[in-house]
Amino acid sequence: MAGRHDHDRGEDLRGPTRRGFLGTTVMGGGLIAGYGTFAAIAGRFLYPARATVRCWMFVAPVGAVPVGGAIEFKAPGGEAVTIARRRRSAPEAPLLSDFKALSSTCPHLGCQVHWQPQHERFFCPCHNGVFDAAGNAVSGPPAEAGQSLSQYPLRIENGLLFIEMPAQRLSSPTHERASPG
Amino acid sequence: MSLARWLTERVPLSGDRLRELTNEPVPHHLKHWWFCLGGTPFYLFVVQVFTGILLAFYYEASPRLAYDSVRYITDEAAFGWYLRSVHKWAATLMIAAVILHQMRVFFTGAYRKPREINWMVGVFLLACTLMLGFTGYSLVYEQLSYWGATVAANITHQIPWIGGFLKRLLLCGEEYNERTLSRFYVLHAAILPAALIALLGVHITLIRLQGVTELRFESDEAQSPRFFNFFPDHLLTELIVGLVLMILLSALATLLPVELGPRADPLLTPEVIKPEWFFYATFRWLKLFSATAAVLSMGLIVFVMFLWPLIDSFIRTRWPRSELSVWLGITAVLGILSLTVWEAAVAH
Repeated sequence: MAGRHDHDRGEDLRGPTRRGFLGTTVMGGGLIAGYGTFAAIAGRFLYPARATVRCWMFVAPVGAVPVGGAIEFKAPGGEAVTIARRRRSAPEAPLLSDFKALSSTCPHLGCQVHWQPQHERFFCPCHNGVFDAAGNAVSGPPAEAGQSLSQYPLRIENGLLFIEMPAQRLSSPTHERASPG
Repeated sequence: MSLARWLTERVPLSGDRLRELTNEPVPHHLKHWWFCLGGTPFYLFVVQVFTGILLAFYYEASPRLAYDSVRYITDEAAFGWYLRSVHKWAATLMIAAVILHQMRVFFTGAYRKPREINWMVGVFLLACTLMLGFTGYSLVYEQLSYWGATVAANITHQIPWIGGFLKRLLLCGEEYNERTLSRFYVLHAAILPAALIALLGVHITLIRLQGVTELRFESDEAQSPRFFNFFPDHLLTELIVGLVLMILLSALATLLPVELGPRADPLLTPEVIKPEWFFYATFRWLKLFSATAAVLSMGLIVFVMFLWPLIDSFIRTRWPRSELSVWLGITAVLGILSLTVWEAAVAH
């Protein structure tokens, strides 16, 4: 025993020992592994489990959208989307490029744009973004960044028009009141 | 054994001991009222914790229930209108006091060596206070709450590399949803107050360790004492300030009670929308540039503000007689003030 004590004392005098180094490493590693795992679990718990679910929704038969006109589609959450048909490229098989479904969400910081018929433009009341009737940015921060109004993806299947939109959105209070149940 | 003796044995704290523990000499200039702008936000914060706990008894953090719970507090709960108004006015005054406190520290040069770190802690405290203000009005679930939160989340998105991650973390999804409001509530009622208390602890500890900068004014009488005692002199002054603030808060809450705007409509941004006054300058800035340019420039301004003691030290070393720091400060204040007035004066 005495020899061992002397041996330990000798190591202390020489500075860091192998035992000390191992002890620090194991202790430090244990703390990092333990609390790190806890932090990772907490982070994963807080991070949203899945991205926003989008789904395809039936709009109308293609023929119901007049050429040069538009129809209004109302999503289950109450969101109204105007779907315009600009031309009839092929009477027998309508082309997807004939249709346009503009999103009313400003690409700048996410507010809802307003259609101003007197100026024939979309206007974002949050930061003064202006878009023409086709959704192209005309002035304000979106024009500076070259951001136009985005479009919802459309699909034509067996003569029926479909739109892809978020499956769940918070609904408008007016829509909640109007909806039965 | 008397009760007093029993208690003294277990809590060995007498009046003399308390005086000894808190006996920090307070410089005479703190008798000028504008040097109590540090203690004022602290008092207002305590008021907000107290009123906030009371409001939490009725508030429900869900998009379906939040607005009605705030309406219940405002219209039906006994003195609910008063407590909500005091909470809101205390927040308004706290933000104003913190900004004025920071300006006072800036223009008296109190951030200079050795107090650079305390200035940086102060910048974090300002950020915490502003975020508390923002998350506070997000909870009401009126139009401003919803669109303010949406805009803030999209501003966060502009931060390079981590913006998308932070936005999803803040909203619990790609956009405002059923689970978003509870996140703002946790931030407002738990995380930010805890962070503010921790930062305040560091702030006050550093003040106690370094002492308060001593200033002499020309109007001071030559034989006036240089210092006075913290306990009880300064504490009594702070108590008087607290009473005056409480009277002011009650008057504001009674004469200008907080109202309730229209319920949030995720499908309709109002024709005219503006944040609270303390974000007017930021809001106008966002109208002037593209989102990325505005957010990056604002980040740069905050970074410069954070590192200001070091930048100022560099300026004073390079140009010892220059008043550049003061002029830069005046320019910044005038710039922020102009943007605020501009935003307040026009509808869009």
